[in-house]
Amino acid sequence: MILAMIRVMTLGLLRDRGALILAFVLPPAIFLIFASIFAATTSDRPQLNIAIAQPGTSPVSLRLEDALRGEPSLRVLDPTRSSRADVARLVENGVADAGIVIGPDPEDDQAPAITVLVEPSKLMAGAMLSGQVQSIVARRLPDLVLSRAAAGVEAAVGGFTPEQAARLSAVVEALSREGRNDGMKGGPGLLETVTVGQSQGADATITYYAGAVAILFLLFSALQNAATLIEERKSGILDRIAAGPAGTDVVIIGKFIFLALLGVIQVALIFAIAALAYDVEVAARIGPWLLTTVAAALASSGLALAVVTVCTTRQQAQTVSTFVVLICSAIGGSMVPRFMMPEWLQHLGRFTPNTWAIEAYYGVLWRGEALSDVLPEIVCLLTMAVAGAVFAIAVSRLRLRF
Amino acid sequence: MIGKPAALEVSNLRVCYGDTEVLHDVDVTIDPGEIYGLLGPNGAGKTTLIRTICGRVRPARGRIRIAGRETGAEMFRQIGLVPQEIALYPHLTIRENLQVFGRLAGLSSRETETAIDDVSEAANLRARMSDRVDILSGGWKRRANIAAAILHLPALLILDEPMVGVDLEARNGLQSVIQKLSGLGMGILLVTHDLYQAEILCTKVGLMHDGTISPQGYPRELLEEAFQDKGEILLEFGTSPSAAHQHLLRQLGFTPNGGPLSWSLIGDRSPSDLAADLVRASLAPKEVRYRKPNLETLFMRHSQRIGLRMGEDAA
Repeated sequence: MILAMIRVMTLGLLRDRGALILAFVLPPAIFLIFASIFAATTSDRPQLNIAIAQPGTSPVSLRLEDALRGEPSLRVLDPTRSSRADVARLVENGVADAGIVIGPDPEDDQAPAITVLVEPSKLMAGAMLSGQVQSIVARRLPDLVLSRAAAGVEAAVGGFTPEQAARLSAVVEALSREGRNDGMKGGPGLLETVTVGQSQGADATITYYAGAVAILFLLFSALQNAATLIEERKSGILDRIAAGPAGTDVVIIGKFIFLALLGVIQVALIFAIAALAYDVEVAARIGPWLLTTVAAALASSGLALAVVTVCTTRQQAQTVSTFVVLICSAIGGSMVPRFMMPEWLQHLGRFTPNTWAIEAYYGVLWRGEALSDVLPEIVCLLTMAVAGAVFAIAVSRLRLRF
Repeated sequence: MIGKPAALEVSNLRVCYGDTEVLHDVDVTIDPGEIYGLLGPNGAGKTTLIRTICGRVRPARGRIRIAGRETGAEMFRQIGLVPQEIALYPHLTIRENLQVFGRLAGLSSRETETAIDDVSEAANLRARMSDRVDILSGGWKRRANIAAAILHLPALLILDEPMVGVDLEARNGLQSVIQKLSGLGMGILLVTHDLYQAEILCTKVGLMHDGTISPQGYPRELLEEAFQDKGEILLEFGTSPSAAHQHLLRQLGFTPNGGPLSWSLIGDRSPSDLAADLVRASLAPKEVRYRKPNLETLFMRHSQRIGLRMGEDAA
């Protein structure tokens, strides 16, 4: 008897192509995506977007820049900026994951040779970059390490004898020529990390994750509620409506608007908690926040309806929805910030609403950007919304013919 | 209804799915107040015909006019469709469902409320208007299902198997609702497998098979044309007759009536002559019945002629 039930389940699975794909293709696909994300985040060679400022033109500072640009684990943005402020701006507005300012005289042990600029939500990027830069300097510019250390020692012991100074210069010159290191590490003071961006009551990470969770929940909720379309199709309600003057377009459009309104309310609750419990400044930026929320909710509705219209059964819709929410959230930055992902995943993430919603929320609530600054993100979200709704209408019309 | 255009006028309709022609030169006319019974086995093309009438499938050729209109939203405003399933929102009350479908049919709020009063009366729903659909019995759901399609008083009401899964009492209630709607002047296209129901309700019937409708017409005329004043003798056996006996039955002019246990003979032989023949052939049916041929007889005969197994589908 038990075997009979197993047989029923097996045949059901084998004869449902959708279920087969979900059962056997989905798990490895999800594993691959998550493996790519987490392998990149735990790798010793994370690919960070770096902006460099080079105020000075000393031979050592130029060599340092060359060494940084030659490092395959860094994506150094062009061109090299001339001021620290330029780099800070790029870091603040998210164009660069972190910034490097090379001191005018790196050999001067009274000032840090390199300053790493990092934005509060990307402190991890700063830590990773600092480690990489120290390693690069130690490997490629050991002479810089030695000369800075020697200057410190000289000051401590009250100066070198001419003979010692000559021998030291020879070693520094040799190291400079050969560019090799026999175990010397960058000494203290070589590098400092500075946080840029405006500081305010809220934690940058909380602000980031308020947006990240909001869009995740928007997707989840929209996909769950959009699945009622399948019940309406099964029960003949769509047939009934299609026969009348309204047609099925009103069903899709009605759901699209309802899901978006519901989403706005749900997101408002999330941000209300964020504002009350964590001082995220929503009230002061209510206009751009609302516009971002409406755009994100519309994008989620459009995507949800597009997904649900291609599903045949509610069960199928639930499985596909889980898949869509997981993937969009993973590669869109709701789980792990995108700067920690490999480049190809960062590109892929641009096709998810999560990427644009998170970027817009963070821009509005942390960087204090004006509406015009987040307009590209909002346009992307609205484009997704319209594309999803149009796709859902087209599929819905097509389904009525068969 | 004189002077009013036909509720439905389908002429010379041809529909293709890719290279396959699924409807061939279909002609149907339903006048206001007429109930047209569309009969036929599964796969005959009934659903495609309904979809084409509703504008969901584009015909390759032919014309469809509903209440005198051939195209546009106004034409579709004249259609009310009652799907085979209970096409209502189960978590809403009957009244709430009717409000939704009234608005979707293009009525204003006020028109919808007036229409709800009218259709709740016509469909005998008044007592349970405030009950959620998911707690109603089959008969109530079916009547509410019809009510949701007639709020805008369509010229053409399409009923797709409206009595599936309801008990006898509910069936009688539904039949009286359908007759009441016909009395209001609606042309009704009733898709059914139930020949008995078709005979009771329909003013006109058509048998659909292989994408065509033939025969079709007024039941009485069809029966007269097919049988004149002949009677039908039905033999029912408890066990299947042997091959020899089946051969003998065929020689006497009987044909199987949906299986080897039931045989039918249409003719003008007297029952006493026939009884003598049966005794001579050592045939002992469990039951012998004589009746005037009806739609079932007509369509069974037609189905046998065209090689369909109508009986199985009708069951």
